[in-house]
Amino acid sequence: MLEEAVLLAVDEESGGLRATRPYGAAYALVGAVFFDLALAHRIDTDTDAIQILDCSPTSSPTLDRVLSIMSQLGHSPSVRDWIEQIYYRREDLEGEALASLISQGILRHEKSRRFWVIDVERFPVLDNHLQRDVRQRVVDAILSDTIPDTRDIMLVSIAEPCGLLGYLLTDAQLAGRRERIQALCKFETISRKVADAINDLERTLHHGAQRFV
Amino acid sequence: MIQTTEESRNGWQIVSVAGRADSEAASALETALRSAVEGNSRVAADFSALTYISSAGLRSVVQAARAAQARQSEFVICSVNPMVRKVFDVSGLDKFIKIHGELPC
Repeated sequence: MLEEAVLLAVDEESGGLRATRPYGAAYALVGAVFFDLALAHRIDTDTDAIQILDCSPTSSPTLDRVLSIMSQLGHSPSVRDWIEQIYYRREDLEGEALASLISQGILRHEKSRRFWVIDVERFPVLDNHLQRDVRQRVVDAILSDTIPDTRDIMLVSIAEPCGLLGYLLTDAQLAGRRERIQALCKFETISRKVADAINDLERTLHHGAQRFV
Repeated sequence: MIQTTEESRNGWQIVSVAGRADSEAASALETALRSAVEGNSRVAADFSALTYISSAGLRSVVQAARAAQARQSEFVICSVNPMVRKVFDVSGLDKFIKIHGELPC
């Protein structure tokens, strides 16, 4: 899910990572990591809580590190505590997902300078099959009336709060399918919890910034 | 842990599920429901003795309903207890799957 979330955010033409909301990319990364842990049967959720089930290694060093961070927070940390810890490591998560996609030949890393001093990184798409597949799955999950695959429900619930759906569907399509999108985003506890925590973090950071102005 | 039993009644295959549908039991739940869906055109999952369902359990139910839809089979969930019903309501499961108060047969 983490790599799929990053692929949704990569602009095929410019190679830049995009999100229309300030903390959108962070939301996508944190949500994707939680979903990956759930799919690996390392965590499970009910309507209120996220529980660690198993700390044994997965096939992903990234997931293992996140799981280790979560388990070190003690016996009863809040979901917010976990999300905060993962949120502060969002650049590592993004970097590792990008590195994996580069090593698979899906993206290329380009670094250039703008105005001689500003480093600009781009990740042009070399092989767009996976990106097209991920985008199509999101579009199909929204536009069709069939029951979506659970992975596709997760993808929609990652893409929507980041504002990434606007790159995949027209305004008319989004307006026409608003109820379906809301239903898909509501389904997973992880989506609801991460969205609440990120909104909370946004408010905290916003208030903190205002105190220094 | 969950226990599942099956019986045929008036053209419906009834899958009765008892226990906790958590991450440990999710795979068994999905296998039982999918197996019923693949062999029958009308399947009702009786959840009256299901006491708990986690997100992993919900995903299993969705995957079984998806398999039923692909086969154009009818799949309904029935007799859900109030605790599990609350989880269904919060997740909006009824937007994707038919939920009945009682068994259809």
